[in-house]
Amino acid sequence: MRFALRYLWAYSAFGLGLGTVYYALTQEWVGSIALWFLGLMPAIVALWWARHGPSPAVREADDPEADPAASAGASLGSFPMATAWPALLVAGVIVIGASLVYGLILLPVGAAMLVWAVVGLARESRG
Amino acid sequence: MSVTTERPAASSAPAGRPDNGPVAWITTTDHKKIGVLYCVTAFAFFLIGGALAGAMRAELADTGSQLVGPQSYNTLFTVHGIIMIFLFVAPFGIGLANYLIPLQIGAPDMAFPRLNAMSYWFFAGGGLLVLLSSFATDAGGVATGWYLYPPLSGPRYSPGVGPDLLILGLALVAISTLMSGVNVITTTFLMRAPGMTMWRLPVFTWNAVVTAVLGLVAFPPAVAAFVLLLFDRRLGGQAFDPAGGGDPIVYQHLFWFLGHPEVYILILPFFGVITEIIPVFSRKPLFGYTGFLLATLTIGALSTGVWAHHMFTTGVVDNPFFSAMTFMIAVPTGVKFFNWIGTMWGGKISFRVPMLFSIGFLLNFLIGGVTGVMLASAPLDFQLADSYFLVSHFHYTMMGGSVFGIFAAIYFWWPKAFGFRLSERLGRGVFSLMFVGFNLTFWPQFVVGLRGMPRRIVDYAPGLGWDTPNLVSSLGVVVLSAGVLLFLVDVSTSRRRRTPAGDDPWGGYSLEWATSSPPPEHNFSSLPRIRSERPAFDTHHPELAIGPVTAPPPEPT
Ligand code: HEM
Repeated sequence: MRFALRYLWAYSAFGLGLGTVYYALTQEWVGSIALWFLGLMPAIVALWWARHGPSPAVREADDPEADPAASAGASLGSFPMATAWPALLVAGVIVIGASLVYGLILLPVGAAMLVWAVVGLARESRG
Repeated sequence: MSVTTERPAASSAPAGRPDNGPVAWITTTDHKKIGVLYCVTAFAFFLIGGALAGAMRAELADTGSQLVGPQSYNTLFTVHGIIMIFLFVAPFGIGLANYLIPLQIGAPDMAFPRLNAMSYWFFAGGGLLVLLSSFATDAGGVATGWYLYPPLSGPRYSPGVGPDLLILGLALVAISTLMSGVNVITTTFLMRAPGMTMWRLPVFTWNAVVTAVLGLVAFPPAVAAFVLLLFDRRLGGQAFDPAGGGDPIVYQHLFWFLGHPEVYILILPFFGVITEIIPVFSRKPLFGYTGFLLATLTIGALSTGVWAHHMFTTGVVDNPFFSAMTFMIAVPTGVKFFNWIGTMWGGKISFRVPMLFSIGFLLNFLIGGVTGVMLASAPLDFQLADSYFLVSHFHYTMMGGSVFGIFAAIYFWWPKAFGFRLSERLGRGVFSLMFVGFNLTFWPQFVVGLRGMPRRIVDYAPGLGWDTPNLVSSLGVVVLSAGVLLFLVDVSTSRRRRTPAGDDPWGGYSLEWATSSPPPEHNFSSLPRIRSERPAFDTHHPELAIGPVTAPPPEPT
């Protein structure tokens, strides 16, 4: 995983460096701030990663000599089979949007769908 | 309901019959189904966007008013641009990434399947709102151009609800892109099979990762700009109104901080696609794998520093800085051409349909790229900005490049996804019609652009030397559309015929060709040993592989 870390640091250095050069040349704030943020965001992830380190599965993936049999049977986590909540959630947002066109009467309907979906999704995620 | 998945050993039970009813599709969290949903929805948007383009070209075929008035024309090019960029090409790339990444890295699914489903529905919902904003509002559609510049998009000049719905729709699409970006990066970094090191990742996956990073970087400033615009429109804000101390140029900066990386979001996945295809049909490994990846990473970085070349003519940006950055980004793109040509050089090239589309991509994109370098020079840009030269330039990259890449991908991975082939004969017809039609449509636009025809006009006077090229361009659309229609015919006849494809019809290189067609739920019943960037090829040709490729049987437990 050393590569991912290096990538993040390099991206960070690029954003901070380019932002500084850009600011020195132009004194223009919007672009400078955008570029500095471009540098900050990967640095945050890289710092977190450097502290917590990669999981065993990642170490195996990074081992050029690893065998698939070595990790056979290892748990890859739990995968949900089906869920209707994401579709309902977005349907709620669309009804809210449509209420701007077809009348605010639709607004509570959309909001109710949205809340229902968010609650459903949260409960499903818990287990 | 959820299942706990384990890494497969040597073999496991065959997959059961998949459930393919509508409910299964709506509630699915399987990355393959979500990938297909993405691609089919995006393709439907292509047909809508293409129909709008056809209407515009019909209007422009001759001088005088044929079909639409000025305001409707403005709506047509606005909606066409937004649909093609945000609802067709970019989501198609995301769809391919969804379908392919877990298969290419040996994972059972994406890291966050529910988030994946959510990102699809946000995209589809956002797309619906965009359509609603265009066609279902009393005040007529949005007519601001695809970049929604204030003050034109502000409350004074665009008072209806259309722009509000459009902003909401685009915000949903942006959120969807952020969600899938997180998913793609997490999946690729954390769920690779043993031995699938970062430097063995298939090129498509690599390109998808860099695209995802660009999405994460580029969309937030644009969403900020859209939200500020909404405040200005509905809540009396003045962020972009000079009368209240605001500045419309700030909007342009924020928008193009998305807008330029967006064009790389539109092209990088398809660089990945053709780089998967060209080696397979040249029967050679990719020439310069590492150089190719470094070029991709460099493009990913530099593309965030070129945004204001879209603002040269405002007179308030540092033109030399952005000109230099734009020239620089042409270098890694040029490197890729060496990779592609070097791969074909001395290879045993077979001109199957995916390869034909890839070669079409190279030729068209080369023209788009060279004209882009011309426009990167600020003095030339002052002359050509907002002319048909520019319209042709970006269609050569996005239509001639990305869309040819999309068709290459469809013909290449169709047998894997559905287990049967598309017709080689009809496919050649599709390619020929599209290649000829595309160049007939867009080449004359360079000519009228150099003769001074501005973009975004509904009509033009006769006798300016614009008539014939415009007529040829519009006839080109007829040929192009015939190609797309023939593709739809190919899909429907091949679906009826269902000629079995086999698991590896092309002699493919990456891991997806080592599983069945279509792949079982959770993708692999056994994983080969991964010892190079071409694990499927190594497995099918052990005599040519680097090191042993068949895994020893698992220890009995
Ligand atoms: C199917 C073939 C296509 C045809 C015939 C076509 C045609 C056109 C036409 C006639 C215009 C209006 C030019 C003007 O008046 O300024 C236009 C604009 C545009 N097209 Fe296309 N187009 C096609 C495909 C695409 C694709 C695939 C994309 C993007 C991925 C795309 C992106 C755009 C954009 C961004 C604009 C500018 C919209 C604006 O000015 O706000 N087009 N196209």
